[in-house]
Amino acid sequence: MRARRFIICVSALAALAAVPSCSPSHPDRIVVGSKNFTESFLLGEIIAQQIEVHTHLQVERRFYLAGTYICQQAILAGRIDVYPEYTGTALTAILKQPASGAKQDVYQRVKSEYESRFGLTLGPSFGFNDTFAMEMRGEDARRLNIKTLSQTAAFAPQWRAGFGYEFMERPDGYRGLAATYGLHFAEQPRIMDLGLLARALKDHQIDLAAGNTTDGLIPALDLFVLEDDRHYFPPYEAVPVIRQQTLQQYPEIGQALAQLAGKISEEEMQRLNYAVDGQHRDAKEVVHEFLRAKKLVQ
Amino acid sequence: MSFLVSYFQFILQNHSQVLELTLEHLRLVGFSTLFAMLIGIPLGIVIAHRPRFNKPVLASANIIQTIPSLALFGFLLPVPWLGERADRLAILALTLYALLPIIRNTYTGIRGVDPAVVEAGRGMGLTESQLLFQVELPLAVSVILSGVRVAVVISIGLATIAAAIGAGGLGEFIFRGLAMVDDRVILAGAIPAAILALVADFGVGWLERRLQPR
Amino acid sequence: MQPAADSPVIEFRDVSYRVGGTQVLSGFNLQVMRGETLVLLGRSGSGKTTSLKLVNRLLSPTSGEILVKGVSNAEGDVIRLRRSIGYVIQDVGLFPHFSVERNIGLVPTIEGWSDDRVRARVKELLKTVGLAADTGQRYPHQLSGGQRQRVGVARALAADPEILLMDEPFGALDPITRDELQREFLLLQQRLSKTVVFVTHDLREALRLGSRIALMEAGRLVTVLAPGEFLRSADPLASAYVRAFGEGLESAANRGTS
Repeated sequence: MRARRFIICVSALAALAAVPSCSPSHPDRIVVGSKNFTESFLLGEIIAQQIEVHTHLQVERRFYLAGTYICQQAILAGRIDVYPEYTGTALTAILKQPASGAKQDVYQRVKSEYESRFGLTLGPSFGFNDTFAMEMRGEDARRLNIKTLSQTAAFAPQWRAGFGYEFMERPDGYRGLAATYGLHFAEQPRIMDLGLLARALKDHQIDLAAGNTTDGLIPALDLFVLEDDRHYFPPYEAVPVIRQQTLQQYPEIGQALAQLAGKISEEEMQRLNYAVDGQHRDAKEVVHEFLRAKKLVQ
Repeated sequence: MSFLVSYFQFILQNHSQVLELTLEHLRLVGFSTLFAMLIGIPLGIVIAHRPRFNKPVLASANIIQTIPSLALFGFLLPVPWLGERADRLAILALTLYALLPIIRNTYTGIRGVDPAVVEAGRGMGLTESQLLFQVELPLAVSVILSGVRVAVVISIGLATIAAAIGAGGLGEFIFRGLAMVDDRVILAGAIPAAILALVADFGVGWLERRLQPR
Repeated sequence: MQPAADSPVIEFRDVSYRVGGTQVLSGFNLQVMRGETLVLLGRSGSGKTTSLKLVNRLLSPTSGEILVKGVSNAEGDVIRLRRSIGYVIQDVGLFPHFSVERNIGLVPTIEGWSDDRVRARVKELLKTVGLAADTGQRYPHQLSGGQRQRVGVARALAADPEILLMDEPFGALDPITRDELQREFLLLQQRLSKTVVFVTHDLREALRLGSRIALMEAGRLVTVLAPGEFLRSADPLASAYVRAFGEGLESAANRGTS
């Protein structure tokens, strides 16, 4: 009967839908994700190679995912098992809480929320903070003997500042900074394209800029990052986020990641970023070299 | 030519990921089409039998279609429960988009059944459900399936956009390839998606022809 | 209580039917006796098809009642009612996706007859309506108009109903086929003696097939007459009909034997 055939068609479609969701996503494979900027996929590659060398597991890379939300969705759905995140980002973008507190505080809060709400956990921090960096020319810092942001307040009226659009707009950006440190510049800060800020600083067009602490150009152009002594900027510690289920299934991953704890300093991350962005070297090679230097691989 | 070679090498090296993303894609399309059929076909039957409702129902489905898909994904993000998991959200959105062709074709298919046939059937003493399942639906099934075919092909395309909100599927290759500025990665998503659409169109089309009443 | 043989099989009591703003039927009173062929004759809009559909409750009267075998058809199961009445319409309405055999055997099948019994019945019916035995395997689209309507009649007779409702069944056929089917209908009626209500606008057909002719106009019953009486009737509408149809009506009234 026709009706029967119709029901068969519907059931076939239903089966088609059900089958992929029944099969395990990726048995015996670990999928490492990353966001779509250099530092993120460098960290992803570090995680990947570390797991490949220290465990018998096959690693698949799913890099260049278009942002925090995408990565979160992917790891919740089990499409990726681990990816590098920043504690501050996790706190504000995923957990939707205000970013404040000391490094360890934020780390613990994120870890416990992730464990209770998402079945995810954090590995130990890689060892660096990728947060906003207030940069000045190295020569000026040495000459004026300035090390902290508090010390710049005295000189601010004589300086011109240059910031990216987002830094100007964000509530935890320029406005809060100026208030916290009592900074008053001669003119309104110039809003510039992020890529041009370092050059402008070098060329004396501006005297203070907002960048990232792990920016590859910092050592290259002899820029100095001022210490955030009043802890205005929230901590953005780089950490691996991993599914608890994956960790339970393959505890060797936990051991492999533990070896990375604290192994990357801000300067080292800057150098890695520069090698890829500035020197256009192959990321895989750069990572392999780095891991060898750290005696983590042969 | 060398691009083609390097493309195929890429597919071969990453075949497990291509397969995985294809299955993810099929899951999004499969569930949403199924739900759209479960909602749309009965709804189409109802409005075919009670023409009073046909304007509001068809108009609503039409309005949904005019919302740009990425915008619809965006609207649904803040919704509790739905917004928490991108694939739930994507499946809902894809279901909504699949509704119009399915409802409309069910309506047209049932209305297209020769009224003399329906009158004779009713006059002979067929119950309304016998009339529906033994006469109207079998005669309308080909038209209904053509609506399903359109829905499936649309869904396969829209599902590539769902990757933008984290639902996975072949669109993820496309977005990643764009960020990496790597054509092979883009095509690793685009070509399988196109092939899926062609296969679906051909496959359901074949079924349509098989089930056409003489 | 009247003896069964005398009571009408179908009776319309003061029936009216109104739809939208139109009074399609008013004050309709009519009795149909066992074994007769009652023809409802009238122009389009006279209410004849509506009256037919009131019998098997495809339509419900606005007021009044229709009794089938002495019981109001508003009570009881409408499905049972319809399955006990054969229904033949002008467009035939064969199910295009069923074979001829399946079309004819539909009501018996859903009534639970065994496959063998159905098959035997279909064979018998094909013979009765003058179709070749292998017609059963064919599909409606492969048949001519005349063959299709024969199948329609066979289908209506399948569960051996007492009553047949026929709505201009031969109207869409060419004159030669129509003549053939009319002749065969008469033979069938002689054999089966069903109670038939037959709707037509063709006086010739009415005179040939009907045992009585109920003339309708604008939703009202004008007069009920036997064919011979009709021809000689003084009623203005009846005579207008006779005039309009011109020659050869006498022979039609004599059942087509010229």
